[in-house]
Amino acid sequence: MKTVAVAALVAVGVGFSLSGAVGIVRMPDVYTRMQCSSKTVTMGALPVLVALAVAKGPVSNYGGRALLVGGLLLVASPLASHVLARAAYKSGIPLWEGSVLDQAAERAGPPGADRRRGPEPGP
Amino acid sequence: MTTVFGIGCLAETLIVFVLLLRLVAGPTVSDRIVALNTISTQAALAVLCFSVYADRSIYLDVALWLASFSYLGTIVWSRYLERGLL
Repeated sequence: MKTVAVAALVAVGVGFSLSGAVGIVRMPDVYTRMQCSSKTVTMGALPVLVALAVAKGPVSNYGGRALLVGGLLLVASPLASHVLARAAYKSGIPLWEGSVLDQAAERAGPPGADRRRGPEPGP
Repeated sequence: MTTVFGIGCLAETLIVFVLLLRLVAGPTVSDRIVALNTISTQAALAVLCFSVYADRSIYLDVALWLASFSYLGTIVWSRYLERGLL
Protein backbone atom coordinates (compact mmCIF):
# COMPACT_ATOMS: atom_id res chain seq x y z
CA MET A 1 0.00 0.00 0.00
CA LYS A 2 2.70 2.40 1.02
CA THR A 3 4.80 1.35 -1.95
CA VAL A 4 1.91 2.05 -4.30
CA ALA A 5 1.43 5.53 -2.82
CA VAL A 6 5.15 6.27 -3.05
CA ALA A 7 5.33 5.02 -6.64
CA ALA A 8 2.32 7.12 -7.62
CA LEU A 9 3.79 10.26 -6.05
CA VAL A 10 7.18 9.72 -7.71
CA ALA A 11 5.45 9.07 -11.04
CA VAL A 12 3.46 12.32 -10.73
CA GLY A 13 6.62 14.24 -9.85
CA VAL A 14 8.69 12.79 -12.67
CA GLY A 15 5.85 13.27 -15.16
CA PHE A 16 5.43 16.94 -14.32
CA SER A 17 9.20 17.46 -14.35
CA LEU A 18 9.39 15.91 -17.79
CA SER A 19 6.52 18.02 -19.11
CA GLY A 20 8.14 21.12 -17.66
CA ALA A 21 11.45 20.25 -19.31
CA VAL A 22 9.75 19.68 -22.65
CA GLY A 23 7.98 23.01 -22.19
CA ILE A 24 11.26 24.78 -21.49
CA VAL A 25 12.71 23.32 -24.68
CA ARG A 26 9.65 23.96 -26.86
CA MET A 27 8.22 27.30 -25.66
CA PRO A 28 8.89 30.31 -27.90
CA ASP A 29 9.76 32.95 -25.34
CA VAL A 30 11.76 33.41 -22.16
CA TYR A 31 8.68 34.44 -20.18
CA THR A 32 6.63 31.40 -21.21
CA ARG A 33 9.65 29.21 -20.50
CA MET A 34 9.80 30.69 -17.03
CA GLN A 35 6.22 29.61 -16.46
CA CYS A 36 7.15 26.01 -17.29
CA SER A 37 10.11 26.26 -14.95
CA SER A 38 7.79 27.26 -12.08
CA LYS A 39 5.57 24.25 -12.76
CA THR A 40 8.63 22.03 -12.47
CA VAL A 41 9.13 23.09 -8.87
CA THR A 42 5.57 23.11 -7.53
CA MET A 43 4.20 20.00 -9.21
CA GLY A 44 7.47 18.24 -10.08
CA ALA A 45 9.61 18.56 -6.99
CA LEU A 46 7.09 18.59 -4.18
CA PRO A 47 5.42 15.21 -4.94
CA VAL A 48 8.83 13.52 -4.94
CA LEU A 49 9.69 15.11 -1.61
CA VAL A 50 6.31 14.10 -0.16
CA ALA A 51 6.94 10.58 -1.49
CA LEU A 52 10.20 10.49 0.44
CA ALA A 53 8.42 11.70 3.58
CA VAL A 54 5.74 9.04 3.10
CA ALA A 55 8.29 6.29 2.50
CA LYS A 56 10.53 7.04 5.47
CA GLY A 57 8.12 8.81 7.83
CA PRO A 58 7.98 12.59 8.26
CA VAL A 59 9.98 12.70 11.51
CA SER A 60 12.90 10.58 10.41
CA ASN A 61 16.39 11.30 9.22
CA TYR A 62 15.13 11.36 5.62
CA GLY A 63 11.61 12.75 5.82
CA GLY A 64 12.43 15.76 7.96
CA ARG A 65 15.17 16.93 5.65
CA ALA A 66 13.02 16.23 2.60
CA LEU A 67 10.28 18.45 3.98
CA LEU A 68 12.89 21.11 4.77
CA VAL A 69 14.10 20.97 1.16
CA GLY A 70 10.49 21.32 0.04
CA GLY A 71 9.94 24.39 2.18
CA LEU A 72 13.14 26.00 0.93
CA LEU A 73 12.19 25.30 -2.69
CA LEU A 74 8.73 26.78 -2.15
CA VAL A 75 10.25 29.98 -0.75
CA ALA A 76 13.28 30.37 -3.00
CA SER A 77 12.01 29.37 -6.42
CA PRO A 78 9.27 32.02 -6.90
CA LEU A 79 11.72 34.63 -5.65
CA ALA A 80 14.32 33.64 -8.23
CA SER A 81 11.70 33.47 -11.00
CA HIS A 82 10.38 36.91 -10.13
CA VAL A 83 13.83 38.50 -10.10
CA LEU A 84 14.77 36.83 -13.36
CA ALA A 85 11.55 37.88 -15.12
CA ARG A 86 12.05 41.45 -13.98
CA ALA A 87 15.66 41.47 -15.15
CA ALA A 88 14.74 39.94 -18.50
CA TYR A 89 12.02 42.50 -19.10
CA LYS A 90 14.17 45.44 -18.06
CA SER A 91 17.10 44.35 -20.19
CA GLY A 92 14.82 44.54 -23.22
CA ILE A 93 14.25 40.94 -24.19
CA PRO A 94 11.25 41.01 -26.55
CA LEU A 95 7.99 39.21 -25.93
CA TRP A 96 6.91 36.50 -28.34
CA GLU A 97 5.22 38.07 -31.35
CA GLY A 98 2.02 36.16 -30.56
CA SER A 99 1.69 37.80 -27.14
CA VAL A 100 -1.53 39.75 -26.78
CA LEU A 101 -0.93 41.89 -23.72
CA ASP A 102 1.99 43.78 -22.19
CA GLN A 103 0.63 45.51 -19.11
CA ALA A 104 4.03 46.68 -17.89
CA ALA A 105 4.60 48.64 -21.11
CA GLU A 106 1.13 50.20 -20.88
CA ARG A 107 1.84 51.29 -17.34
CA ALA A 108 5.20 52.75 -18.28
CA GLY A 109 3.57 54.95 -20.95
CA PRO A 110 4.76 55.80 -24.45
CA PRO A 111 8.52 56.05 -23.71
CA GLY A 112 8.46 52.51 -22.32
CA ALA A 113 7.84 51.28 -25.87
CA ASP A 114 6.00 48.14 -26.85
CA ARG A 115 8.48 45.31 -26.70
CA ARG A 116 6.59 43.10 -29.08
CA ARG A 117 8.41 42.46 -32.29
CA GLY A 118 6.67 43.05 -35.57
CA PRO A 119 4.21 45.74 -36.65
CA GLU A 120 2.20 47.82 -34.25
CA PRO A 121 -1.27 46.27 -33.74
CA GLY A 122 -2.99 49.64 -34.08
CA PRO A 123 -5.66 51.28 -31.92
CA MET B 1 10.47 0.98 -2.56
CA THR B 2 14.21 1.46 -3.06
CA THR B 3 13.74 0.55 -6.71
CA VAL B 4 11.11 3.26 -7.11
CA PHE B 5 13.55 5.90 -5.94
CA GLY B 6 16.31 4.43 -8.11
CA ILE B 7 14.10 4.78 -11.17
CA GLY B 8 13.14 8.28 -10.03
CA CYS B 9 16.81 9.25 -9.78
CA LEU B 10 17.49 7.95 -13.30
CA ALA B 11 14.45 9.77 -14.68
CA GLU B 12 15.45 13.09 -13.13
CA THR B 13 18.95 12.68 -14.56
CA LEU B 14 17.47 12.08 -18.02
CA ILE B 15 15.34 15.23 -17.64
CA VAL B 16 18.55 17.16 -16.96
CA PHE B 17 19.80 16.03 -20.38
CA VAL B 18 16.60 17.34 -22.00
CA LEU B 19 17.17 20.68 -20.29
CA LEU B 20 20.77 20.79 -21.50
CA LEU B 21 19.34 21.26 -25.01
CA ARG B 22 17.88 24.59 -23.95
CA LEU B 23 21.03 25.49 -22.05
CA VAL B 24 23.06 25.02 -25.23
CA ALA B 25 20.54 26.49 -27.68
CA GLY B 26 19.01 29.33 -25.64
CA PRO B 27 19.19 32.48 -27.74
CA THR B 28 19.52 34.85 -24.80
CA VAL B 29 21.28 34.68 -21.47
CA SER B 30 18.01 34.60 -19.53
CA ASP B 31 16.90 31.45 -21.39
CA ARG B 32 20.08 29.80 -20.22
CA ILE B 33 19.52 31.01 -16.65
CA VAL B 34 15.99 29.54 -16.65
CA ALA B 35 17.35 26.21 -17.86
CA LEU B 36 20.15 26.28 -15.30
CA ASN B 37 17.74 27.06 -12.48
CA THR B 38 15.56 24.10 -13.42
CA ILE B 39 18.62 21.88 -13.80
CA SER B 40 19.70 22.68 -10.25
CA THR B 41 16.24 21.77 -8.93
CA GLN B 42 16.30 18.50 -10.87
CA ALA B 43 19.81 17.78 -9.61
CA ALA B 44 18.64 18.29 -6.03
CA LEU B 45 15.78 15.86 -6.65
CA ALA B 46 18.11 13.31 -8.23
CA VAL B 47 20.49 13.47 -5.27
CA LEU B 48 17.52 13.13 -2.93
CA CYS B 49 16.25 10.01 -4.70
CA PHE B 50 19.76 8.60 -4.83
CA SER B 51 20.18 9.03 -1.08
CA VAL B 52 17.21 6.70 -0.54
CA TYR B 53 18.45 4.30 -3.20
CA ALA B 54 21.93 4.12 -1.66
CA ASP B 55 20.51 4.24 1.89
CA ARG B 56 22.81 7.06 2.99
CA SER B 57 21.09 9.98 4.66
CA ILE B 58 24.25 12.11 4.48
CA TYR B 59 23.59 12.71 0.78
CA LEU B 60 20.46 14.59 1.76
CA ASP B 61 22.65 17.45 2.94
CA VAL B 62 23.87 17.89 -0.63
CA ALA B 63 20.28 18.21 -1.82
CA LEU B 64 19.56 20.63 1.01
CA TRP B 65 22.50 22.79 -0.04
CA LEU B 66 21.46 22.71 -3.68
CA ALA B 67 17.90 23.69 -2.83
CA SER B 68 18.87 26.50 -0.48
CA PHE B 69 21.71 28.16 -2.40
CA SER B 70 21.22 27.48 -6.10
CA TYR B 71 18.69 30.30 -6.41
CA LEU B 72 21.37 32.78 -5.29
CA GLY B 73 23.16 32.18 -8.58
CA THR B 74 19.99 33.08 -10.46
CA ILE B 75 19.59 36.27 -8.46
CA VAL B 76 23.20 37.33 -9.05
CA TRP B 77 22.97 36.68 -12.80
CA SER B 78 19.69 38.61 -12.94
CA ARG B 79 21.30 41.53 -11.19
CA TYR B 80 24.11 41.62 -13.75
CA LEU B 81 21.55 41.32 -16.54
CA GLU B 82 19.52 44.22 -15.19
CA ARG B 83 22.18 46.74 -14.23
CA GLY B 84 25.29 45.84 -16.17
CA LEU B 85 28.58 44.71 -14.75
CA LEU B 86 28.86 47.21 -11.91
